[in-house]
Amino acid sequence: MTCPHLEYRDGDHADTERAYCTVVDGFVEPMRADICNDRHDLSHATHCEFYREAEGLDGEGDGS
Amino acid sequence: MTGYDDYLAGEPVIITVALTGGVHGREANPNLPETPAEVAAAAADAEAAGASVAHLHARKPNGERSFATERFQELTEAVREATDLVVQHSTGGTGAPLEARRQPLRTDPAPEMASLDMGPLNRYRHLTSENPRAMVDDLYDEMAARGIKPELEAFNDGHVNEVHGLLDRKDLDEPYHTTLIFGGGTLTPAKPRNLLNAVRNLPEGATFNTLGFGPHQLPFATLGTILGGHVRVGLEDNVYYERGELAVSNAQLVERVASVARTLGREPATPDEARDILNL
Repeated sequence: MTCPHLEYRDGDHADTERAYCTVVDGFVEPMRADICNDRHDLSHATHCEFYREAEGLDGEGDGS
Repeated sequence: MTGYDDYLAGEPVIITVALTGGVHGREANPNLPETPAEVAAAAADAEAAGASVAHLHARKPNGERSFATERFQELTEAVREATDLVVQHSTGGTGAPLEARRQPLRTDPAPEMASLDMGPLNRYRHLTSENPRAMVDDLYDEMAARGIKPELEAFNDGHVNEVHGLLDRKDLDEPYHTTLIFGGGTLTPAKPRNLLNAVRNLPEGATFNTLGFGPHQLPFATLGTILGGHVRVGLEDNVYYERGELAVSNAQLVERVASVARTLGREPATPDEARDILNL
């Protein structure tokens, strides 16, 4: 499942629509776009700190 | 072993240009080339500025990562048509499975070189590029079968151990070309003394690139040149020319280290000189 916070928008830095994160309000890096789209072995719910923070998944104790 | 004697002897320095990478795109620097035509033009400019090896990543039309052989084929043909550079395909790919990472090795003709990550690298907050030994060995075996020389990427000093381990497991040809990488996170801390240690810990028969991320690109390229090594620069590793000033091109970054090398008494290697040095 693609990240619900992902949109593809026109930008002034390219001719093509680019991955845009509505959580951070900015275009995302190409490798992060693979996370947004859950490509390969990547998952937005597991690997994206912005999604996790927005959804309250990165609480205290995370990473300890 | 490459060393200070090579600097004193004025041996040519191989400049590898990492033109685009797969992590960031034009959101980081609008001058970063992405399409095959853009990468080929940037490669030609970098060659004119002194580069002899092109480190290549393929992109989709929207700038996102692609591991597909077909995209690498289109890219490598464009670069070969525009330049005489040694072609080096990346096999890096955080979060991508082995089968995807094999794809860049399967162009026709095969690339002369390919990068081979020696171990894990942390990315962002929740992600690691794992590169377990089994994956390293599988990628190496396919490179060996296709006559592709590996460029051994050591993100930290532990990966220098992994270089020795790979030599124990596999029958690599000299020189063992490595890239020593310095910066933050999982990389070796960018302290000059750490470059000295890393070089000292390389196996006999090794050559090395020095790669400093971001603001470390120029000083570590300079240090590496003095230590008889080779250098890698480009917008994949550093999008700035100076603090707060984006680089206008890969060629701008190449030209600067070529000038430093000449000032220090080493000429940038031509592509054919690079082929001789690396025994391609």
